[in-house]
Amino acid sequence: MTLPPLPAVLLRALLPVAEREEVLADLGADYARQRAGRGSFAARLWLWRQVLGSLPALVGRTWWRGWSGFEPTANRMRPGGPIMESWIIDLRYAARRLRTRPLYALLAVLTLALGVGGTAAIFSLVRGLLLEPLPYAAEEEIAVFWNSGSWSEAEFLSFDRTFPGFRTVSAYRTEALTLESPGAPTRLLPGISSSVELFRVLGATPALGPGFRPGDDVLAAEPVVVLSDGLWRELGADAAVVGKRIRLDGVERTVTGVMPPGFWFPDPTVRAWVPEPLDPANRAGNYALVGRLAPGTSFEGIGGPLAQITRRLGEEFTYGAQWDMTKNAEVTPVREFLLGSLRPAMLATAAAMALILLIACANVAALMLGQVDGRAGELAVRSALGADRRRLTQQLVAEALVVGVLAGAVGAVLAAISFGLLARALPLGAWADSARLDWTLFLAAIVIAILAALCVALVPALSLRRGDLRGGLTRLRTTAAGGKGSRMESGLVVAEVALAVLLAAGAALLVRSVSKLYAIDPGLDARGVAVLDIAMGASTTPPERQQVLARLLTELRALPGVRLASVTQKLPLRGSGDNWGFAVQGRPDITGVTTAVRLVGLDYFETMGMKLKRGRTHLASDQPDAEDAVVINQALADRYFAGEDPVGRMIGGGSQFTERIVGVVGNAAEAQLTDDPVPARYYVYVEAPTYTPENQTLVLRTTRPGDAAAVLDAARRTVHRTAPGVAVREATTMEQVLAEAVGPARQLMVLLALLTGLALVLGAIGVYGVISHFVERRKRDWGIRIALGLTPGRVIAQVVGRGTALVAAGIALGLVGVAVLARLLASLLFGVGSTDPFALAGAAAALLAVGMTAAFLPAWRASRVDPARVLREQ
Amino acid sequence: MLAVVRTGDAAYGMRVREEIERVTGRDVTIGAVYATLDRLEAKGLVLSRRAPVDGLSRRLFAPSARGARALAETRVLRERLWQGVDLRAVLALGGA
Repeated sequence: MTLPPLPAVLLRALLPVAEREEVLADLGADYARQRAGRGSFAARLWLWRQVLGSLPALVGRTWWRGWSGFEPTANRMRPGGPIMESWIIDLRYAARRLRTRPLYALLAVLTLALGVGGTAAIFSLVRGLLLEPLPYAAEEEIAVFWNSGSWSEAEFLSFDRTFPGFRTVSAYRTEALTLESPGAPTRLLPGISSSVELFRVLGATPALGPGFRPGDDVLAAEPVVVLSDGLWRELGADAAVVGKRIRLDGVERTVTGVMPPGFWFPDPTVRAWVPEPLDPANRAGNYALVGRLAPGTSFEGIGGPLAQITRRLGEEFTYGAQWDMTKNAEVTPVREFLLGSLRPAMLATAAAMALILLIACANVAALMLGQVDGRAGELAVRSALGADRRRLTQQLVAEALVVGVLAGAVGAVLAAISFGLLARALPLGAWADSARLDWTLFLAAIVIAILAALCVALVPALSLRRGDLRGGLTRLRTTAAGGKGSRMESGLVVAEVALAVLLAAGAALLVRSVSKLYAIDPGLDARGVAVLDIAMGASTTPPERQQVLARLLTELRALPGVRLASVTQKLPLRGSGDNWGFAVQGRPDITGVTTAVRLVGLDYFETMGMKLKRGRTHLASDQPDAEDAVVINQALADRYFAGEDPVGRMIGGGSQFTERIVGVVGNAAEAQLTDDPVPARYYVYVEAPTYTPENQTLVLRTTRPGDAAAVLDAARRTVHRTAPGVAVREATTMEQVLAEAVGPARQLMVLLALLTGLALVLGAIGVYGVISHFVERRKRDWGIRIALGLTPGRVIAQVVGRGTALVAAGIALGLVGVAVLARLLASLLFGVGSTDPFALAGAAAALLAVGMTAAFLPAWRASRVDPARVLREQ
Repeated sequence: MLAVVRTGDAAYGMRVREEIERVTGRDVTIGAVYATLDRLEAKGLVLSRRAPVDGLSRRLFAPSARGARALAETRVLRERLWQGVDLRAVLALGGA
């Protein structure tokens, strides 16, 4: 009786070919007897017990047979058996072969590991930062309104918290909060000030406490705060913290909630959320609006509700051309809004790493091809003895798998190391510290390595399929002058070089871009300037803050190594700041205009290295009185006083002209580095006794340009000693601020340059390998030609020429692909097109030089061939 | 090995399995039998050859000379070990 199909299939898979028929026949006979004696059900039960009970023993036997190579005498005329057995034999053989060729094994494993490690690291970063779900419920329903950071409390409240098309909307802005703890220095915490709906919009519930409650954000409400999990742990992780009070910005706030671990908004550095007392009369535009779409509303269908919103805004408020909130109304999905800025750099890096992996695979494939070529004789003998192509291919794949697994292990270690380096090297901003290494990185490394190894094995396997195995026996003693194997090898090197060109071109484009950015004159001398950002606390009054600033500047000027000290409310290169209305006495044509305004200390321009063009800068005698002294910049002078001397003219904010222009300074980059100069005017802060923002930046010019970093510690201590209630947010140098203003392109450039270096090394190895094989295969030819009079110089020229031809072909191919890849970098480039000829020429020249150098050593070896010895050997 | 000896001529895998089941009264899987016979052959204690039995080419087992000696020595060793041992005392231990 035949067995049911499934048990039969299982047994067939694990029994040797020679024993299959007899075992299945005997088991079938026993099964029939069981059915006859005990019934169908009992017989099936007995059969399954036999089959399942046999599986462990048969698997063990298969493994042991493969490992030991045991073949029973009785089965030798009918070899073959479970696939697993031949795989184990081949894997052992592959491991043995690799041990006997340590250099090849090391090169193959390390090359693949380099590609795998980098790819796994960037994959893990991208997965963790860009692909992980946001810590909000149904994030696809959350949208951020246009003109983020420009909404006012009046505009938000004018809708009575009901926006068409949205279930609920919240207004929020960033706020640096000073945390005062007894016995510890005052700290500055990144925080968010928002309306009470924020957590409802995000769909996030606090882990402790109720969070914000309705009424928490009205004027005169009791101050409360919701802590992040990280801050809660720093403060002692008290489970009963809800209801307790902490002192933020000089105000006692009751803790009403702690958010769960892993929650963040709008970035992972935010430590506390406080409700903002909203004033319907406040028209200062500082807020972003974030909302959850109403049920049934989609992003595609939001146009109608947005039109209603802009119509309402137009009815309630009057807007000038510059700040018209009714124009360009759109919403951005919250993921795009929060993480969109990270994408270009990370995707560019992921593409670069993928290129490195492909180059590494091409390298290892070329190495394996070379090995197959070198084994032509052995493979011919095996084929003559009965090995079929399938089995020979299986051996190649087994060897690739062993290399792959080893490369995966080494690659996982490299990935763990490069994960940390990448997280620091990439412009991740507030997310730099939240990148976490986890087990998926190692899994990714192993999987990528095995897949890469299998792809790599396809190449020599293809070569085997097409080649004439037995013909190799007769060709053993003749020159194997090329053939299909060497053509594939050359093709692989051409592909490698093409991929390396892509990387090199990308790096060269960024280098050109960054150098153009650095060439922009920021209008100040950044060398030797130390910068301290301070926060004086919302509870201090403007006159108190002015006294604190005066004390601080006196103490800081007395520090050793400090030549000048001053203060500004907003440092250049850090983006836009305040804008005030502007009018000129006797110029009624200038209406509805605003300019940038900065409140600075004495000696500000000298400290920052800004040039005085006309008139004077501020003096100690400039005090709040009938006339305020104003210094304007060249851009303002050019725009509103073209062809005349602005010094002495009276200006103001509206109908009153109480400010006299006393001087003109050169343009400093008061907005972004790449923006056109903006008209700006500077007041000394004592002239505005009712307006002294709590956040200021102290600037110190040191006596020697290199000392800026050295004075930071002493400056920080001086601030703590002189004004203990003042928190130092950041201490850095102006050169660092300038470097950051250059932007993400700078960091990415360094990374891509390193990867290009790696690609060049791999490319050089590839070219060297192929040319070496080429020389080895044609040794007899060279011997004969040298004997016939070919000079060593000509030999070198011919071999290097062949290498150069391969590289040139690769460069040509690569340049075609540059246009495609350069699109990825487009958002990071400045002043440079994605097909900039200098960048491409530089990349091509670098690769050509490396390729020719790599081909030189085998060329030199070929020129040294001793004809007599070669002819004797052959 | 004893089962192979007991089975006698034409001792192929399934017959060896049936002999073990008949004598011990316990179920034995065919996979376990073949795996054990393979190991015994690798150690040189049994030999196998191909011969037609009941119309099928079968792998037949028989103890090798070395295997037969090992069986005999094991038997002698066991009997020596049992000498002087009171079976009733052993059974009493098992009962407690």
